[in-house]
Order: sequence, then structure tokens, then C-alpha cells
Amino acid sequence: MSVLPSSGTGSEVLVPHWLASTQRLQLAAAVRSALGDPAVHPVAHIHLQDVLTELHVAAARDAVWPASAARVRLATGWDADVLPVRLSAAELTAVLVLCPLPDDLRGRLGGVGA
Amino acid sequence: MTAFGRRGSAGLMQRLRPTRIDVADLLEVAEVVLPALAGPRLRVELVRRSGAGSVLLVEEDERSVRADLAELADDMTGAGVAPTPEAMTAALRSWVAHRPVTDAAAAADGIAVLDWADPARSAVGWRVVVRRGEFTPSWTPLPGTAAGRLDEVRSTATARAGQVELTLRVEGPVALWSHPLLPVLATTALAAPGRMLARVADAGLPVDDVHVVVTPQRPVACAARSVAARLAGETSEASVTLPWARLTTLPWL
Repeated sequence: MSVLPSSGTGSEVLVPHWLASTQRLQLAAAVRSALGDPAVHPVAHIHLQDVLTELHVAAARDAVWPASAARVRLATGWDADVLPVRLSAAELTAVLVLCPLPDDLRGRLGGVGA
Repeated sequence: MTAFGRRGSAGLMQRLRPTRIDVADLLEVAEVVLPALAGPRLRVELVRRSGAGSVLLVEEDERSVRADLAELADDMTGAGVAPTPEAMTAALRSWVAHRPVTDAAAAADGIAVLDWADPARSAVGWRVVVRRGEFTPSWTPLPGTAAGRLDEVRSTATARAGQVELTLRVEGPVALWSHPLLPVLATTALAAPGRMLARVADAGLPVDDVHVVVTPQRPVACAARSVAARLAGETSEASVTLPWARLTTLPWL
């Protein structure tokens, strides 16, 4: 579902992770949960905030330019609520390390169990 | 979308293997359809020429269009219009609806929207369009139109754009403006930047450093600069991102 950069340190490349509506809600809840932890490093905090922003931006992107994601869904047979959520390597790392994710979502994002 | 609209098309197979529109059939349809399309200031008629085919003539105020009926039949064939009376009727209606916009219509009903300023789709500018049913043809000033007349039409079109009712959807830090029926009208949101910013503020979004992401004919997105960059930077679709304060400085096309 997703391809991680081989070396994401400092990279601003955003990699699409195709997530259904339920998975995006799960990701948002997990990120908010992590943001509530005062022990989270301020830089990681920013990355997690950016993930929340991206979840909204992904929906906005699909509202403005629906055709490209629709083509992918047509080719793959994915449901209409599957959207590309584009994350940087740092954002993805913050999610995988700091957020309490369901196993299938962790796998979808390329973490353990992928 | 062609000048013959979408309804005239018989679908993919017709476009891939079009059946020829016979000019005699088109003439038969035109003789029935055209009289109903004429209006007090709109002349729509067939001019028969001896030794040559018929010509479709559309005249309205200072604007006129002529089309050889045989060429129109060829164009319809190329556009995938089905060779049925219904499809040819729809195609003729669409063709007439795409006629040039008169100065009077632009002055009375013009609406300012953003459109691509260049074929490469790298910039946008303002344009005056009018609503004609499901179509929104644009007004092209004739060479030599007085500057005062141009300003008058454009300023009233800008004011009218500010009155267009749009749908506002708030997606987290992004405000999305769209028109429920005519996508081209979404950018009317930007004709009155003050009103747009007030509604963005009412929706609870910050109004510092608001940027707009514009793809003509698509919903308009407004967001802080970094969010707008993230939105537009990750798509292969053409778009223009600019600070809201630049909206009133964009050129007229």
C-alpha cells in the first residue's frame, strides 16, 4: 500500500498511504492520544500536529482534484472512501513510535506486521 | 465537453467508432429546432445558398457566427454526437448556447471568475462569464472597446460575483468553496476577498497569511500558507497558489 523512502532523514518527500475512512479516524484518534502525552518531544509534537493537518488536507485534496485518486481506486478496486494520506518520513516515524495504533493500521503504514 | 455539450454524446463506443452525421438529417433537425431558439435580439436561421450547402447563422447585437452546416455535421461526428434526432437537437441547442456573449449581456449579467491565463496553466486571471442554462460562455471584448466600457462591465461583474451563493466546506484548517451546479462559479468566492476572509474567520479558521489554491472549474481552497503549500504541492493537477491580497491585482483576460 505504501513505499517508504530508503533514507527519510531530513527528507520532505511525502509518501502516500492509502487509508479508508475508518483507518483515518483511527489514525487521528491515535495521534490525538499521543499529543496528550506531556512527555512527547516538542519536535515530535509538531510532526504529529502535521499528521492531523494532513488527514484534513488529504480530504480537501480529494475534494478539489478527485480524478487522480479515483483512477487509482478504479485500478485497484478499493472502496470510494480510500484516500492517499501523504506523510513525510519524520511524520511516519513519529506515528509509528508514539501512537497506539491497531495492528492492521500499523501494518498498513509500513510498521511491524506490514 | 465540446460546443455540442455532453448530452449529445452516445458514449465511449460512439466516440471510438463514430457514426457519420448526415448533413441532410442535420438540416431536417435544424429546420425544426432553430426557430424555437430565436429570441427578440437573437436571430438563428438557416441561409440556403444556391449551388452550395446551407449555412447556420446566429446573430445577436454586435456579435454574429456563421457555420457551414456540412462542416457542423462533420464536427458533430468528430465530437461523438449520436446520429439521432434527439442527440442532434441537443447538440444544436448546445452550439447556439455557446455563441459569443454580447456586450449588453456581459454588462447586464456578467460574473467575474478566474480562468487559466496561459495554455501551460501556470497563471490565472479574471474573466467575465454569463450563465446560459448549464453553460457559462465567456465574454471577449471586441478590439477597440472603450476603456471606460471595459471597466464598467468588469466592475459590475466583480460585484455580481460577490453575490453568488456558494457552498463552504471546512476541512480542518482548509476552507473549500464550491458551487452546487456550475463549477466555474467556485472562484467567485475570490472576487470579494473581504467577504471571503470574514466567512473563513466565522468558520473558526485563522485569517493570518491566508493563501488560496486555484484550479479553474474546481473548488477553491483557502488555508494558511504552509497548509496551502502542502495541499497543492502533492498533486499532479495544475493549480496556482497565491496570497489572498494578490487576488485583486490579477490581470483581466
